[in-house]
Amino acid sequence: MSAMRQRYPEHFQRFGRDRFVMAAIGVGLFALLIYAMGRLGFFDGTLLSGLGRLFEIVGLMLPPDPGSWAHVKTYSISLLETVAIALLGTLSAAVLALPVALLAARNVTAQRVVRFLSRRSLDTIRSVDILVWALIWINVVGLGPFAGALAIMTADIGSFGKLFSEAIEAADRKPVEGITSAGGSHIFGIRFGILPEVFPVLMSQVLYYFESNTRSASIIGIVGAGGIGLHLAEAIRTLELQQTSFIVLMILVAVAAIDFLSSQLRFAMIGRRGGVSV
Amino acid sequence: MLRLEGITKSFGGKHAVDGVSLTVPVGQLVGVIGRSGAGKSTLLRMINRLGEPTSGRILFGDTDVTALRGRPLRAWRARCAMIFQQFNLAGRLDVLTNVLMGRAFHMPPSRALLKMWTDDEKAQALSALEGLDMARLAGQRAETLSGGQQQRVAIARALVQEPDIVLADEPIASLDPRNTKVVMDALQHINRHLGITVICNLHSLDLARSYCDRLVGMSGGRVVFDGAPAALTDATARDLYGLEAGDVVGHAAPPPMLPAGVQPGFALAGS
Amino acid sequence: MSTHVVRLPEAQLQPLLAVYNASVRSRRRHTLLILACVAVAMLLASISAEVSLSKLAENIHRFPSYIVRLFFLENGQPVWTDFGEWFWGLQRWLRLLGETLLMAYVGTVLGAGVAFVLAFLAAANVAPSRWLRIIVRRFGEVCRTVPTLVLALIFVISFGLGPMAGVLAVIVHTFGVLTKLFAEVIENIDMKPVEGVSSTGSPWHVAMRFGALPQVMSNFTSYTLLRFEINVREAAVMGFVGAGGIGQDLVEAIRKFYYSDVSAILVLILLTVAVIDMLTSKARHRLIGLEGKP
Ligand SMILES: Nc1ncnc2c1ncn2[C@@H]1O[C@H](COP(=O)(O)OP(=O)(O)OP(=O)(O)O)[C@@H](O)[C@H]1O
Ligand SMILES: [Mg+2]
Repeated sequence: MSAMRQRYPEHFQRFGRDRFVMAAIGVGLFALLIYAMGRLGFFDGTLLSGLGRLFEIVGLMLPPDPGSWAHVKTYSISLLETVAIALLGTLSAAVLALPVALLAARNVTAQRVVRFLSRRSLDTIRSVDILVWALIWINVVGLGPFAGALAIMTADIGSFGKLFSEAIEAADRKPVEGITSAGGSHIFGIRFGILPEVFPVLMSQVLYYFESNTRSASIIGIVGAGGIGLHLAEAIRTLELQQTSFIVLMILVAVAAIDFLSSQLRFAMIGRRGGVSV
Repeated sequence: MLRLEGITKSFGGKHAVDGVSLTVPVGQLVGVIGRSGAGKSTLLRMINRLGEPTSGRILFGDTDVTALRGRPLRAWRARCAMIFQQFNLAGRLDVLTNVLMGRAFHMPPSRALLKMWTDDEKAQALSALEGLDMARLAGQRAETLSGGQQQRVAIARALVQEPDIVLADEPIASLDPRNTKVVMDALQHINRHLGITVICNLHSLDLARSYCDRLVGMSGGRVVFDGAPAALTDATARDLYGLEAGDVVGHAAPPPMLPAGVQPGFALAGS
Repeated sequence: MSTHVVRLPEAQLQPLLAVYNASVRSRRRHTLLILACVAVAMLLASISAEVSLSKLAENIHRFPSYIVRLFFLENGQPVWTDFGEWFWGLQRWLRLLGETLLMAYVGTVLGAGVAFVLAFLAAANVAPSRWLRIIVRRFGEVCRTVPTLVLALIFVISFGLGPMAGVLAVIVHTFGVLTKLFAEVIENIDMKPVEGVSSTGSPWHVAMRFGALPQVMSNFTSYTLLRFEINVREAAVMGFVGAGGIGQDLVEAIRKFYYSDVSAILVLILLTVAVIDMLTSKARHRLIGLEGKP
């Protein structure tokens, strides 16, 4: 053993040092956790007294109850509006993101500067929260679902731009090479070599986002950008707890339905042979 | 006539192709042989200008191919068709569209990008496909075809380019023996009956010997043999292939004869 | 015209052309049908969402002008002429930003901690009880689907305004997401080591500790780090509903049209997010690197 240690000192030392560093990091993270919990009020009674009230509130939420049929109707219309916001936002974002994604993809755009700028703009758009976009659009087109759809569109241009450009960069370069080798110009390579190949990938990303955007669309009503969120925030504020849980239940069902639908569509699109031709 | 003058290509200081000079007269069927990593693909790609030579010149007639840019470069590529080991088709496009990509240089983008082909273009592509017994699959997606069928689509694409030269980079490396024969016969036909120069990278020495007029042996990026197939002795072949020699020299079975009826009719040229 | 490809005689060509054209037509019809469906859905959605292109066209100029105004101080000077004035509230904002980070940290660690335990009960291949597995799965699904901000709203009623409500919302959501991801990781492990430990007669938790855990640790950590990045963003908007963090000042600045404050806070958030992303992705790469070693 000691002979081994002498022959390969670096292995033993590294092992020991790694362990020490790991332990130090662990202790540090734990200390930070305790400190943070203290700062956030975990140890001063806020948590305990609040938990009591939370159970009470959850108790009052059950069973979910809309209150009246008129409410059911209002909520259903708002829920449809929510889905409409998500659909509009997602699809228009997909259409607008594609050209930017092409500008940001290495195998499409040769100019470094263009690529860099389009990437940076996509990053910036992405790092501003959807609620902030909603508030900005409310300043432009006023309160209501239209602002919500525009907010989802803006935020998704950032996400789609990034995802699409990654998918495009991951595309097989052989079909493009085949076209180039026959004298086709760059634009032919993009149109016939890249786009048809990546189209199903892009569509499945769009469908996937449709589901998560339905969830986002259900909260932007909180800041006044349409959809069910408005009623939800209202029900919570006025302590109509059974209505609150009813609305939450409606959202859960809607999201589950759209999740089911979009995964079916995704499966059909990738699995089907005839497919959509672009 | 195609002339290479001291073509060199280096990747990060390493010479993949090292000072290759060759002259290929019109109408020859040249087989380029050598072990894996010898620089065969790199050489062929430079002729089509898919790769830029680090130094040296490629001349076709009086044209300096290495100096071409933009549209003249694309015109050269259109005249110099390329067939790839992996076919390089757009899998999700139908067969006919893939073949029509061979006409890409001659089409106005405004209409071609919308997939509006003229009847004339479609007729030409279908005729090329029919010559390879593939016309009835024209509407099918390329990715749904077998490897041999895909390579035939790629050959049809090369043919509608109406090229002066066909470059084939191991066109049969991912095919079974039957399709190997179909593809090699098609290349031979292109060469014999249309008088097109064919340069073909091959891994199998037997095939190279039986199909080619001339063999060029490469090793470490250099040409180490250049002559008629008969002049290539087993000893030279062993030198060329080193440890791989057992795989390629002598033991490989000759390509099997095709049963009557499956051989594609070569109605390609006005013979 | 061509010397290379001899055109087939018309009699032979026409049928081939007809077959091809028919197949293209049927594919086009298919595509058009799908496009028509999408168009109808979009139309209905535009009616429902009160889309008005004329309103947009009329007011769109306000969008760039809003963005431009973000970069001017009260006194009409561009923000970069006077950093002191632009970041006048730096001390307060940094404190709130720190609070946001603490919320994200505690939310991630505690959420991941609970998910870590429950994921073993939710993974199909190692779950000790079928019923328990279904219950844990459903519960995780609910926690994942209820939007974080809605949870925060409910927690604000029970815990009052402040970061406690926000951090609990982050914990619940993180737990929901990570339980699913962790369970998927566990479902993909090699079962031989687990069976090896079990076959010695060890109880379930021992089999998990020595059979399953070593295989999943690095994936768990990597998912947790990714979640931390997302949670920083989530924690930054908790303040929109009064659940603590920098979001509170941000939403107030937007509502009250303190333009330069909006940009200052956004810049601070963007910088923080960028730094956190950089650090966590570095940590994840190190982790992957470590895994590669014997
Ligand atoms: N894009 C590249 N970057 C770096 N090195 C490369 C690249 N392409 C080829 N090479 C190197 O150049 C040398 C020649 O490669 P090439 O593909 O031309 O060989 P080959 O004779 O076609 O071999 P094979 O029979 O395996 O196809 C190899 O050593 C390879 O590693
Ligand atoms: Mg090769």
